[in-house]
Amino acid sequence: MNAPRTLAERIRGGDRRALARAITAVENESAEAASIRAALAAYIGHARVVGVTGPPGAGKSTLVNALVKELVARERRVAVIAVDPSSPITGGAVLGDRVRMGEMQGHDAVFIRSLASRGHLGGLSRTAAQVIDVLDAAGFDDVIVETVGAGQSEVEIAKVAPTRLVVCPPGLGDDVQAIKAGILEIADVFVVNKGDLPDAARTESELHAMLALRRDADHPPVLKTVATTGEGVAALADWLAARVQPGPRAASVAGANSGDAAALLERLIARDAYARHLGLEMVAAGEGTATVRMRVRPEHINFWNTCHGGAIFSLADTALGLACNSYGTVAALIDSHMTFSVAVKAGELLTARAEEVSRTRKLGVYRMEVRREDGVLVASLTGTVYRTGKPLPGEA
Amino acid sequence: MRIGGDVMAEHRPPKIIVTKIGFDGHDRGSRVVAAYLRDAGMEVVYTPPWQEIAAVVKLATEEDADVIGVSSLATDHLLVPKLMAALRVAALDDVQVIVGGIVPPKDQRMLIAAGVARVFHPGASLEAIADTVRALAATRRTQLEGSI
Amino acid sequence: MNKPIVKPMARTEFEQGERRWQAAFDASPGARSDAANRSGIEVKPLYTPQDWSGERYLEALGFPGEYPNTRGIYPSMHRGRSWTQRQLIGLGVPEDYNARLKELLAHGATAVSLIPCNSVFRGYDADEVPEELLGTCGTVVNTVDDMERALADIPLEKISCALNDPSPFTLLALVLAVARRRGIAWTKITGTSNQSDCISHYVANHMFFRLALQGARRVLTDHIAFCNAQVPGWNPLSVVGQHMQQAGATPAESMAFTLASAIQYAEDCQARGMDPDHFLPRVTFFFDISVSFFEEIAKFRAARRLWARIARERFGAKDPKAWRFKFHAQSSGVDLTRQQPLNNIARVAVQAMAGIFGGLQSLHTDSYDEVVSVPTAEAARVAVATQNILREEAHLTDVIDPLGGSYYVETLTDQMQEKIESIIARIDAAGGMYKAVEQGLVQRMIGDSAFAAQQRIERGEQTVVGVNAYQTDEDPDAYAVLEYPQRERIAAQVTRLRAYKAQRSNAAAAKALDALARAAQGTENVMARVVEAAEAGATHGEICACLRRELGFGQPLAVV
Repeated sequence: MNAPRTLAERIRGGDRRALARAITAVENESAEAASIRAALAAYIGHARVVGVTGPPGAGKSTLVNALVKELVARERRVAVIAVDPSSPITGGAVLGDRVRMGEMQGHDAVFIRSLASRGHLGGLSRTAAQVIDVLDAAGFDDVIVETVGAGQSEVEIAKVAPTRLVVCPPGLGDDVQAIKAGILEIADVFVVNKGDLPDAARTESELHAMLALRRDADHPPVLKTVATTGEGVAALADWLAARVQPGPRAASVAGANSGDAAALLERLIARDAYARHLGLEMVAAGEGTATVRMRVRPEHINFWNTCHGGAIFSLADTALGLACNSYGTVAALIDSHMTFSVAVKAGELLTARAEEVSRTRKLGVYRMEVRREDGVLVASLTGTVYRTGKPLPGEA
Repeated sequence: MRIGGDVMAEHRPPKIIVTKIGFDGHDRGSRVVAAYLRDAGMEVVYTPPWQEIAAVVKLATEEDADVIGVSSLATDHLLVPKLMAALRVAALDDVQVIVGGIVPPKDQRMLIAAGVARVFHPGASLEAIADTVRALAATRRTQLEGSI
Repeated sequence: MNKPIVKPMARTEFEQGERRWQAAFDASPGARSDAANRSGIEVKPLYTPQDWSGERYLEALGFPGEYPNTRGIYPSMHRGRSWTQRQLIGLGVPEDYNARLKELLAHGATAVSLIPCNSVFRGYDADEVPEELLGTCGTVVNTVDDMERALADIPLEKISCALNDPSPFTLLALVLAVARRRGIAWTKITGTSNQSDCISHYVANHMFFRLALQGARRVLTDHIAFCNAQVPGWNPLSVVGQHMQQAGATPAESMAFTLASAIQYAEDCQARGMDPDHFLPRVTFFFDISVSFFEEIAKFRAARRLWARIARERFGAKDPKAWRFKFHAQSSGVDLTRQQPLNNIARVAVQAMAGIFGGLQSLHTDSYDEVVSVPTAEAARVAVATQNILREEAHLTDVIDPLGGSYYVETLTDQMQEKIESIIARIDAAGGMYKAVEQGLVQRMIGDSAFAAQQRIERGEQTVVGVNAYQTDEDPDAYAVLEYPQRERIAAQVTRLRAYKAQRSNAAAAKALDALARAAQGTENVMARVVEAAEAGATHGEICACLRRELGFGQPLAVV
């Protein structure tokens, strides 16, 4: 008689309904959201996240369909998040992007979810980053995030997607200006879709001309596609494959400063000699949260041939330290309580996730859970930190 | 930053799929309903006509929809029992289904017996449809509360 | 209420009379002076020679049969030859259709009209679809044998045929194959490829939309060229306003979109090297007639005038036949109600009258139970009788354009024309109808009008008897509902299809389908190959599947 599967097992095992329900909980920050995110935390970091944005009429959905088709042909499992705007007045939304996608909607290797922006500005929804995490943890090779972007403010996609594709319709003419500055700056690649139309060549050269005016040496390429026939899509998929993903995925917490916090914590952990010494790796970071991993090595083993409690404490404490210092000011642990539940053997991969329980001007309380690869809780740490308010050394 | 809790609960609109299965291609009714439900604050996944039943089931699964609204003219409503069966097979019994369009009285009884929550006829008020969707969504969420 | 600003003393007797009337009107209890029709044109309580006077007769109206045809496209109109009573029918299997057709012809209908089963509209053979959907709304016709049975004993060379047959026009191909078998020359075949207009199916009533838009566009032009050459008595192009109006477009919008579509098709033909004097006479139109009586009459009169001008000036046609706006019209099912269905008989009579006064060439009147289910035989008879009564008891055919010269109708005709022209200008600005619909512009306009109409009804601003006014409690089961075709007959039809596929020469059919595919890949006339494929035994579903592979499956744009 098989033991009932855990949520992580069900989701990673292909239970699409469980996956969808988990997304709903995380999307809506329901009571279960925190434990779901904790259960999946260990599995985050493998997916390639690609943002697709551009003005309306560019044929984004058709292009995404064609790209998904190409990726599936390369035996990748692909998830798509389509973000549609909610009405600021009524709060309702028509989630129309995914249905415009076409035949890949029906494919088994593909999972598509629509999110309404629900008043959130910037092009995404408040919890889009967490939804990406869930799909990442579910085991998809690619997570494509499609959103409308034409104005200067719809650049939030940059915070969640290390690779950004900006789709341009041909015939923009001098409305290459229509793609406002912000969007142009975040693009890692431009795709001129409907490439068979007469205006496509002109748009392509106008983009090149505009890019030549930019000061940075790194010019993103301009590719041409005809999404309806698939022309140029293989080249786009090749470009994606060749592209090196910068660093571990950041920003699994919604919040305007998540991107900044993540960058800060990357710098901090890079300077932590002790963390390096133990072999700790930060896999996620944001405001008030951090996730750190450790493979139990021979030098961590005690005289019972299990992992030394101190090593486990150091792992959890490092996550705590990152989480409470993510605001840019010094916070130091003053009191903590550690509980050990299960002995850990050599070779196991442990993940510690820190979440903020409360925070005032002077104090903060954090809770850390350390879990094994199979999701079992190995240890819990609760800590109180004192916030000095002073800027972090080396970060002034 | 607080974690969890029902901070967003009251901001979570009902989610409904408005679709057509079978052959008919008239979408005036479904479009007007979709627009109205959006303006009534709901999240609407609006599909083109001729959706395969398997596609609707996949859509309902992935989107975690509360309600499926099937717009039917001609005799497409005769396919709805197949949709109900497919939803059960996919363990989506909790998803509520409503049908709108031209449905003869005898067929209406058959649809209700097959598990359809409500059948709307031409002339039905948009407000009544919206109220029904809200109520069905609320029932489903209460039913599912806390479970994945 | 428009009170004139203090004017100097009324100079003429007319002005005095007008003022007296206005004062008396304003004082009358309940007198409303604000009203607008469905196209948004304000309707006054009274129209006088100040609004339109007979001095404009020659420039604005002319005589029937003469440019700009406002009063009618023929000199004699219905006084010479009544409109064609073309009742749409289609049910079940071909034998059932044949029987109902003969019945209707005996009761006064003068032409054939075939509505195929929805499965046929969707481009499938009977063995490819769920059986419960077969034969419930139209006739299942997939092969030459089916068409032979459907038209048994019908003299094709004498009776005009309207086929509801969208791109790639397989039903026409089957009819031509039957004609060939019977030894009837194609030059003797008359009729219309009803609803051959691909743009309107992309926009509304998508059931007819089989091939991707640009593919359908090419096949349509091939079809027009083929028919003009080989079946000269056939109208290959029927441009449809009905679907858009039923989808919610106002009468002015639906006419504008239809004319804009016709302009695109004519441009494609011209680009192909066809002569407008040759192809324009074979263009027909198909419209909805709503219950907004005067508005519909004005819509049709304005369209006649506009089309004559477009044909002559925009396309340079010189033959007066090319300027004629020929149309078939159908009473609007959207105005009919499920509640108190017998009221629909009155509605249909009013709609029919509007069409007749509007100068149509052929008319279909809906059955009163259309909204409840597929019409019963008895209801279909009442619909035909309605036309007979209008013609033979009310004598509506005695006078050509009897409302011509009416101050109201002429003013309204001018106003409708202006509105239609402004919408056409908007479409032109978007680059023509194809571009406008690919961008969703037309769909959004229609959606907005539909939504606005629904709101008016829900708020009670627009009355619908039995629905938001004069309601009664009634038992919806009280009206007879047509039974669906017997399952055994449908099952037998499917069996027959399988037998057909087994006994025909599969090699011949396959070869013809190959040729069809190659034609689609190149520039040969696709329609010619469609007809050859039908004659070689290929089925309707096979032909559609072949062209969908080559030219794309037609998916309409989902716009909310």
